[in-house]
Amino acid sequence: MKDTSQKRWLMSMLLIGLMIVVTACAGNDNTTSNGSNGDDGTSPSNNGQTDSDGDVTIRVAWWGGQERHDMTLEAIDLFEEEYPHITVEPEYTGWDGYWERLSTQAAGNNLPDVINMDNSRLMEYSSRDLIVDLQPFVDEGLINLDDVDEVYQDLNVTEDGFVMAISIGANALGIIENREVLNEYGIELEPGYTYDDLIHALEDIQSATDDEFFGFDLANSEFEMFFVYARQNGQSVFNETGDGLGFEEDVLVDFFDLIQTMVNNHVAPPHDVMMDYIDGGDSMVGEGSAAASMAASNQIIGQQQSSEMDLGLNLMPHLEGGEYGNWIRPSMSFSISAHSEQQEAAAAFIDFFTNNIEANEILQADRGVPVSSVVRDHLSDIVDGATAETFEFLELVEGYTSPADPLSPPGESEVRGSFQRVVEALKYDQVTPEEAAQQFIQEAGAILQ
Amino acid sequence: MERKKALKESLTGYAIISPWLIGFFFLILGPIVASFYLSFTDYDLLSSPNWIGFDNYINILTNDPRFRQSLTVTLIFVFVSTPLKLIFALALAMLFNTGRKGTGFFTTIYYIPSIIGGSVAIAVVWRIIFGRNGAINDILTTLGLEGMNWIGNPDTALTVLILLVVWQFGSPMIIFLAGLRQIPTELYEAASVDGANKLQTFFKITIPMLTPVIFFNLIMQTIGGFMIFTQAYLITQGGPMDSTLFYALYLYETAFEYLRMGYASAMAWILLLIIAAITLLLFKSSSRWVFYESEGGR
Repeated sequence: MKDTSQKRWLMSMLLIGLMIVVTACAGNDNTTSNGSNGDDGTSPSNNGQTDSDGDVTIRVAWWGGQERHDMTLEAIDLFEEEYPHITVEPEYTGWDGYWERLSTQAAGNNLPDVINMDNSRLMEYSSRDLIVDLQPFVDEGLINLDDVDEVYQDLNVTEDGFVMAISIGANALGIIENREVLNEYGIELEPGYTYDDLIHALEDIQSATDDEFFGFDLANSEFEMFFVYARQNGQSVFNETGDGLGFEEDVLVDFFDLIQTMVNNHVAPPHDVMMDYIDGGDSMVGEGSAAASMAASNQIIGQQQSSEMDLGLNLMPHLEGGEYGNWIRPSMSFSISAHSEQQEAAAAFIDFFTNNIEANEILQADRGVPVSSVVRDHLSDIVDGATAETFEFLELVEGYTSPADPLSPPGESEVRGSFQRVVEALKYDQVTPEEAAQQFIQEAGAILQ
Repeated sequence: MERKKALKESLTGYAIISPWLIGFFFLILGPIVASFYLSFTDYDLLSSPNWIGFDNYINILTNDPRFRQSLTVTLIFVFVSTPLKLIFALALAMLFNTGRKGTGFFTTIYYIPSIIGGSVAIAVVWRIIFGRNGAINDILTTLGLEGMNWIGNPDTALTVLILLVVWQFGSPMIIFLAGLRQIPTELYEAASVDGANKLQTFFKITIPMLTPVIFFNLIMQTIGGFMIFTQAYLITQGGPMDSTLFYALYLYETAFEYLRMGYASAMAWILLLIIAAITLLLFKSSSRWVFYESEGGR
């Protein structure tokens, strides 16, 4: 009797020991597999079945709304027709939850072959060796960038020539304006208009209308807005080395003062109203209760689809005596993950999205203006409405840009979270601009160390 | 011979429960041990962990205002929502205990919110009801009062979530119902012979006889309350101004949005200690107010 209980004890101890060993090993997997994908410029290698005749499957992940999912799935069908030996397994979600899912996949060495990348996360993934250098694929002609102007790819290439990603489309920050509302009150925001001009225009509408009017929808994009504002002051949000902030405190105080004043003077919506619209998937500018809203240029395509009114793109306000703060950037990009065993097929997929005309006709430039000039020229003749607006806007912006900042450092998402919390308190009038600026600078500094 | 047989029997037993055993070791005990180890590292999910000793714990306890905020919010939530939920559950259980026709049907109806409460659909419905143009504000407007966005307001967002959770009183209600049916009817008969009124029988018979069930529900709901995540994640994401930043929500954010897995692991162990301490306090107090039938009349 005693014997068996001892045996049981021993057995369970052994099992626990075994388990600890197993989990410990699993935890160390990352270290051994990292760096095996030579980022030393070796030619692309497939550790899977490299047989070009063999059937392969690649997983492709992206984020977006339902319209984008439908268009992308249609383009993928076309790709599979063109490359019968490649099967694509799509993995798509909304923006919320996309990065959480990717990071768990990264931890499990199970990233999709092709990853839809955002500028703000590139450094995070590249600094941890999770994505491969795409230069060898470009050199071999697997990804054809002959028709792609450097301005579209600049941000995706590190100083030592490591190509982290291929841009899927280009966009720039701007404002979406409701032209019907502006026309009704005889307002025209000519390029070069200032923050003050915008506020005065909104105040005029506010005093002339009896309807509910919110003015300028900040659209939860205060952080992006500050990116431009800092650059207009000749500074930047992050410093060159990415280990601290790149602006002086008074610049942020001025910006916070601007935001708070707009909300308190009823030319920007209260924070809770703004969030209510976002959560409900509604748009103030689309329904005419706001004259304009902060946006990335390609967002007009989705917004126009759900609005009866005539929307247009415009430049961001200019800072009196300031510099040009805007820049043209990859709206999003495709990377190939270091876990991919089918890197050539993944490269073929990226090439297809970059250069295939028919695919881009399906995709409607919804991820930004296509980076290939051939595709762009072809599309600009046939698109109309909001998509055409994005094409024209990018041509207009070009005259108002300054060189782009380096990509945001890892930790950007946490800094952004801190900024948004501070802005919330500011809009609820719980803190002064000075207090808010101090709090953010302190929190961000601690995160970036 | 005997021993061989016994061994064979126990091996058969182990074989039968092996699916559960494997699940327990690899999906429960394994992660528990791993998270304990990781809480002493700077693990970021993507690169290998480095040992940093008690740094995470020290940072959480001394240098993290959001940890304090999330703990405060969670404690307020637990201490307000749990009693309310139990009171509702008991009141409804009393109502359904009359043995009238159709009570089964209504019990089911009232239990539904608990089943679907954590779903996206309910979250959306609550967002709409309490939104700027929602039903609550419509009612207020007809009464001539000023409406507001309840979820977007830092002073009211927590209340909305407390209401949502209190509304999910189904499970404690079912348990109370079972408890009420256990109470011997002779007690009530004796009381009515002695001329006790409704209130007296409730406080002198029902409540004392129910104390073991109340105790059970209290423990379960308190522990559950500390782990609230889904509703807040779907409705407020912790906002506005961190007014609904529940502990589990902050933990999730730290781990999966900011990739500070080591830090989040340490937070999880601190939460375990807090829950253990509070549960222990409840158990310690139980000797004063929980009566078991076996104790005889004390």
